[in-house]
Order: sequence, then structure tokens, then C-alpha cells
Amino acid sequence: MINLEVKIPDTPGTLIELIKPISNNGGNIFGILHHHDKKINNLIPVDLTFELPEELREKALESIKSELRKENIQIDRISLGTEKRHLTILLTGHVFDTDVVDTIKRLAKKKIIVTGLEARFTEVDDISTVKFSLELPESISEKNLINEMNKICEEKNLMMIRV
Amino acid sequence: MKVKICLIGKGTVGKCFLELLNKKLPIFKHKFDIDIVIVGIFEIDGGLVNKSGLNIRKVIEMDKDFRKLNDWKFNINPLDLISKIDVDICIETTPTNPETGEPALSHIKAAIKNGIHIIASNKGPFYLKYKEIKELANKNACLIQYEATVASGVPILSIKKSLGASKIKAIRAILNGTSNYILSRMASEGIDFSIALKEAQELGYAEADPTLDIEGYDAAGKLVILANELLGWSKSIQDVKIRGISKITPQAIELAKSDGYIIKHLAIAENNSLIVEPRLIENYSALNISGTLNVIELKTEYMGSIVLMGRGAGGYEAASAILNDLFYICDFLKKDDNI
Ligand SMILES: NC(=O)c1ccc[n+]([C@@H]2O[C@H](COP(=O)([O-])OP(=O)(O)OC[C@H]3O[C@@H](n4cnc5c(N)ncnc54)[C@H](OP(=O)(O)O)[C@@H]3O)[C@@H](O)[C@H]2O)c1
Repeated sequence: MINLEVKIPDTPGTLIELIKPISNNGGNIFGILHHHDKKINNLIPVDLTFELPEELREKALESIKSELRKENIQIDRISLGTEKRHLTILLTGHVFDTDVVDTIKRLAKKKIIVTGLEARFTEVDDISTVKFSLELPESISEKNLINEMNKICEEKNLMMIRV
Repeated sequence: MKVKICLIGKGTVGKCFLELLNKKLPIFKHKFDIDIVIVGIFEIDGGLVNKSGLNIRKVIEMDKDFRKLNDWKFNINPLDLISKIDVDICIETTPTNPETGEPALSHIKAAIKNGIHIIASNKGPFYLKYKEIKELANKNACLIQYEATVASGVPILSIKKSLGASKIKAIRAILNGTSNYILSRMASEGIDFSIALKEAQELGYAEADPTLDIEGYDAAGKLVILANELLGWSKSIQDVKIRGISKITPQAIELAKSDGYIIKHLAIAENNSLIVEPRLIENYSALNISGTLNVIELKTEYMGSIVLMGRGAGGYEAASAILNDLFYICDFLKKDDNI
């Protein structure tokens, strides 16, 4: 989720100029809040929350900013939400022998938190299957996670099964 | 009006096709005023050829003894004869060599070069040489129909015609009945992969050498055809990232279940990439189908998901698809008076 705080002139048609760049760049608007009570110098503070397609996020955000500037809309703040996502993946192979702690630490370095591990074994020396419950901050895309996991799996000869 | 057909490959699919065609001949007559005439049926060691039309009923009745019919000749083959006998539509149902697409690829190219429309149940040529075949067909103004190659009778390729103006953005599917049967049995009975595979072989759902099915190559071939046909891509099987299901353990399935998931061998076309691999899907997903069924989910631009499900193999299922393809070509021939 992205929160955008701006100030727009209290004149008809300005709101549409604010919304246009967001929808033009694939944004999905969830809420608009006008603070009429906080009007200063004919400028009204407006808070907007919206989402952008993950793969285009950074690029889209940059073009939204530049389009708003072109319209002379004053941007006070842009903040990326802190919603966390939860994901399950399975790893099959010698998950423990190939240093599971290292696997967890490497994910942590990428801000991916392992919140739970559940394992199933057959024989001690045999391969195991481990369920990783993961928590992803919003700034980390699923693609980032998959890339990192793929690297680890290739190195440690593990098989990943994901959603 | 007569439409002349030649059939190459009289195995399971070829035989079922002849049976269904024989039953449905009146529909072609009634709907299009077309008499379908079979002028050639080729097998690996020879063929039945009759320029004024074979007696379909007799061919069916003779079953495996069709070589005893007067029209049979040993050591003739379609490549030599295709330019000599007058044929409108060639139906190709030989087995595929997964690396070369032969003998079908040569049959198809030779037929197109002679201006003959194609119906094929053979996927090899299309996942290996899609572009080449399409270009050749366009150049020679030939139609190519190959509905049976993906999910047999499920009309997944022809759906494109119904979605004319709508864009399909991505595809997720289960395209191999054998691997789905194995995973379904592992999930329901908690058995090992090897036991589920043996069971599938005993029931005739898996070949003696199941590699193409369980390692994902068969599904990958079908996925390429779907992506090229429905998403407008131009890929071949080398572009697919493929992982099989032979390493899936009952423990993995159990762990997946504990989170409300099931493991399925998915074929995925999205974001310009093609993948066949085991994935977790939610229990309530429309893709969670059991047994040997196939399912395809199309993600569309404005309509959300469309899901088609059905039997993805079987002689009559494939023969139905061929018959529908024949119907489509007859409609075209009739409308445009293209005979
Ligand atoms: N069966 C299905 O459920 C199904 C469903 C969809 C698509 N398909 C596809 O349809 C095709 C046919 O399948 P099928 O099950 O009918 O296979 P099949 O029972 O093995 O039949 C193939 C037939 O083609 C003949 N043949 C082989 N090489 C030939 C050649 N060079 N020229 C002429 N005939 C030749 C074979 O003869 P011999 O037996 O003497 O070698 C056999 O009679 C395959 O590509 C398959 O992938 C099958």
C-alpha cells in the first residue's frame, strides 16, 4: 500500500489532475481523504492510499511523482505501507545437513523472516521436507524471494515447491 | 459437394476417428451438403487408397485385418502419394518423436506444400516448429487445426475464436493426466511416488517408460502450444523451464496439506515465461482436480478467470476434437466456396 500526502488548490478540477497520474500508471486507489478543515492559503491537504502492480512499482511511482510536479501539485510525503505478507514454501532435500541456519540467515539478510519451520523425516540420513513459514515486508517482492530461494536451492541441491 | 480426406496413422485415435466419422457423416451432409470421402488411410507399412472413396464401414468392420481389403497396398507411403492423390484435408495421427516431431512434421509440411488443409492430434510438430508450420500454411493458404494436441476433446484452442476481442493474459493448467493421477493418489492414500506410479502403469494410465509424463516434457509441449495459440507468443519447448514430480515425497504432500495446500504439477505461462513444475495450490482452487483429468485456467483482461476441465486423453476424446476440427474446416470451405 502507498500513502501519498499532497496539497491541492481548492479549485474545481484539481482533484482529477491528482488522480489521473495514479490511474494512468496502473494504480488502484483505495481511499481519498480531504482535510478541508486544514485549508491554508487556499490549499487543501489530501491523503491518498493506493496500490501499484508489484513489478512496475518503482517505475510507476517515479512517473506519478513527475506528473504531479508537472501539474504543480505539492507533494508533502510518500510512504510505503508496512503491511507484511505471509508465505509458505516447501524445501525437499538435505535441508538440515546443508546448514539450515545459514539458509535462515541468508533470508534474514534480505529482510525475509522465517517465522516457522516444520519438518518431516523418514530416515536420519535420508532427505527431509521442511515447511518454511515466511514473513515478507512490503518492500520485498515475491520475485526477490523466489530469486534468493532459487540461488540457495541450486547451491544446496534442494527442491523448492512454492505457491 | 465432396471433401476428400486422407488419414495418416490408424492407431487408437485414427480408429476412433473413423468410427465417429461414420456415425456423424449425416451431420456434414445435412449442415453443409458435404459428402466426406476418405481416399487414403496410411499405416507405417502401407496404405489403403481409393481415389473414388474407401468404404469406411468395411474398414471399421475389418478392424485389425484391414490389410486384407482389396484397396490395401504394402510399401506405399503418404510422402510419395500426397501430391498424386487429390486430397482436401489430411488428418495426421501418428505417434510423435519428441525430439524431431517426425514422421508427422514431414507429413504436415508435404501436405501443406500441396495446398492441403491439416488436422493433427500430434503435438510434436507444433511445440518444435510452430512458426515454420504457421508460415508455410499462410503461404499456401491452408488451415491447420490441432485441437486434439492439448487436453484432447476440451475445446481449449478453439476458445480463442470465442474470445476474439478479449485478451488472455496468463495460463495455469494441469495438462498431464498421468502425473496428476500419481499426485492425486499420493495425496489421498499417503503412498510413495513409486507405488502410485506402478498403480498408474497397471491401470494403463502410465506408459512402461513414463519419463515424458512425470518429468514434465509432455505438459511442456502442450503448454507451448497453448501459449503460442492463446497468448500469441512464438515459443518452442526449449523455452520451457521444466521440473518433474518424481522427487515429491508423501511428507511434502502432508506438510502442504497442513497449510491448506495441495501439490500439483502445474504448467504456467505468464510474464513471458513458461514453467512446468510442482506447485502449491489452495485446496479450494479450481485447479484442484483429481485423477487423470486436465484443467486449464485462462486469466483474462476483463473477465477474471475462465476454467475449462475435462478428460485430457483417450481415443474417442481425441477423435471428437478431430471431428470438431473437421467441422470447422468444412464450415470454412462451404462459406468461402474454397473447394
Ligand atoms: N491416445 C490418446 O489418448 C491421444 C490423445 C490426444 C492426442 N494423441 C496423439 O495422437 C497421436 C496418435 O495416438 P494414438 O494413441 O492413436 O497412437 P497409436 O495407437 O500408437 O497409433 C499410431 C498409429 O500410427 C501408425 N504409424 C506410425 N508411424 C507411421 C508412419 N510413418 N506412417 C503412417 N502410420 C504410422 C502406427 O502404426 P504401428 O502401430 O504399426 O507403428 C499406429 O497405427 C499421438 O501423437 C498422440 O500423442 C493421442
